[in-house]
Amino acid sequence: MTSTAVNTFSIPLGPVHVALEEPVYFHLDVEGETIRKVELTSGHVHRGMEAMATQRNLTKNTTLTERVCSLCSNSHSFTYCMAAENVLGLDIPPRARYLRVLAEEIKRVASHLFNTAIQAHVIGFKSLFMHTMEVREIMQDVKETVYGNRMNLAQNCIGGVKCDLTPELLSYILDMVDKMEPGVEEIRELYATNSMVLGRTKGLGLLPKKDALRLGVVGPVARGSGINIDVRKDSPYAAYPELEFDTIVNDGCCIHSRTTVRLNEIFESFRLIRQCCRRVPEGPTKAPMRQIRAAEACARTEAPRGEVFYYIRTNATDIPARLKWRVPSYMNWEALGVMMKDCKVADVALITNSIDPCVSCTER
Amino acid sequence: MQDTINGNQRIIDGLGQCSETGTVHHTVDSFGNAFHWFRLGTPRHLTRAAALLSETGARLCMVTAYNRRHLSEPMQEICYHFEVAGVIYNLTVILNGEWPVVPSITPFFANADWHEREMMELYGINVADHPNPRRLFLDESFERGILNQAVPLSIMMNGASTTDLWERILADREKQS
Repeated sequence: MTSTAVNTFSIPLGPVHVALEEPVYFHLDVEGETIRKVELTSGHVHRGMEAMATQRNLTKNTTLTERVCSLCSNSHSFTYCMAAENVLGLDIPPRARYLRVLAEEIKRVASHLFNTAIQAHVIGFKSLFMHTMEVREIMQDVKETVYGNRMNLAQNCIGGVKCDLTPELLSYILDMVDKMEPGVEEIRELYATNSMVLGRTKGLGLLPKKDALRLGVVGPVARGSGINIDVRKDSPYAAYPELEFDTIVNDGCCIHSRTTVRLNEIFESFRLIRQCCRRVPEGPTKAPMRQIRAAEACARTEAPRGEVFYYIRTNATDIPARLKWRVPSYMNWEALGVMMKDCKVADVALITNSIDPCVSCTER
Repeated sequence: MQDTINGNQRIIDGLGQCSETGTVHHTVDSFGNAFHWFRLGTPRHLTRAAALLSETGARLCMVTAYNRRHLSEPMQEICYHFEVAGVIYNLTVILNGEWPVVPSITPFFANADWHEREMMELYGINVADHPNPRRLFLDESFERGILNQAVPLSIMMNGASTTDLWERILADREKQS
């Protein structure tokens, strides 16, 4: 009895560099090396963006929302534009639908590879980290060549897309995907078979399906716990209803199954990118703006980390009365309490990384 | 565009019974995805509505609190967004009075925890029986309901330069002369 009292500690972890260079602060109740209870404090990078959104007009908010998050920046402007189009009653042209999906899937490939690379970094497998980042660099080059930016693509605008892609650029993207695919194949093989990676990820950070449903988690975290949920399939938008791809589900419920989902999704994204490049119809890329009435609407899309949800309320002026959004990480943080329970303190960073957390977009 | 709007008839009927008459409407986006909108006249009906949604396996997507004062109406509203089988059900609750209170829906939806804590700190809405009513993001040194005080930048800038500045310039000029 006394030994339990001696071995039980409450330790702080963070707020700096828990997995990423973003602040979140964990309070861990540990018994020896084993975690018994987790509580987290966040808010270090709260920027009050929802208040800022009600001081800008609809067009300016496209730029603002793209800056909510870095790795899923495109998903935010995409979903925001969809919400704005729903509230205005706009239909976007078919070419814009395809070009939006193209930008979204390019971002998804880069985002998933980044998270996978960080996992190798946290494990301490530096060469794998470097290798994954090197392969990812091809997609970064694509973004820079096509859109002129490596992070914020600024592709979406209300009514369509800003950047029309020439046939040369489309064939360039196809070439780069062909060049990249064997590299990702190799990385997938490494993550599936390397004993160092498997030793740290397989069977660890468990999120049983029951808890995943209870906590309403989204994205690869949900799909890694056997939940078949994907907005692109459940309520298809843009060009997704016309494109063929599969939803990747894995019922391992551990860190490794979440990584497997992400790596396999990259290949589905390649499929989508190829289909978009080959099938994109000719035509205009933008629809003209409509009169703004007092109305409310919502929209959702599947970002790399899961469902993004936007709600907009207009009051017949060009400045929204309320703009609210919920990012996928917001739903996934609470799952860490389940995943970390009975794990070792040394695994906290790895488990945190497995939900692909984004602090700045959680706090807005 | 399709003629019929998708939706679970049991949920639509059930939520319709909780709603104020004439407020239920249904919309569809340009891809055929359905959205159903309900307005509850009083927060008391929220628990019944949440229980119904929970039974049908709904997932809570988001909760939006907002202040109608921005629309020059002295009231607050909360919109709960749920998803069932790819269809969105939006449930708006109108809050009246000086001390707006809503019941916590965490017994039905565990993921409402953060959303409710956020609307407590940003909009000063009281959530009855919340299991963990700590601050979510903002420090205790900030007052509750900080977004209720949000003033549009243009209004803040109006008259931000008071007579003090002008008086100081005049005083400086007198000193020089």
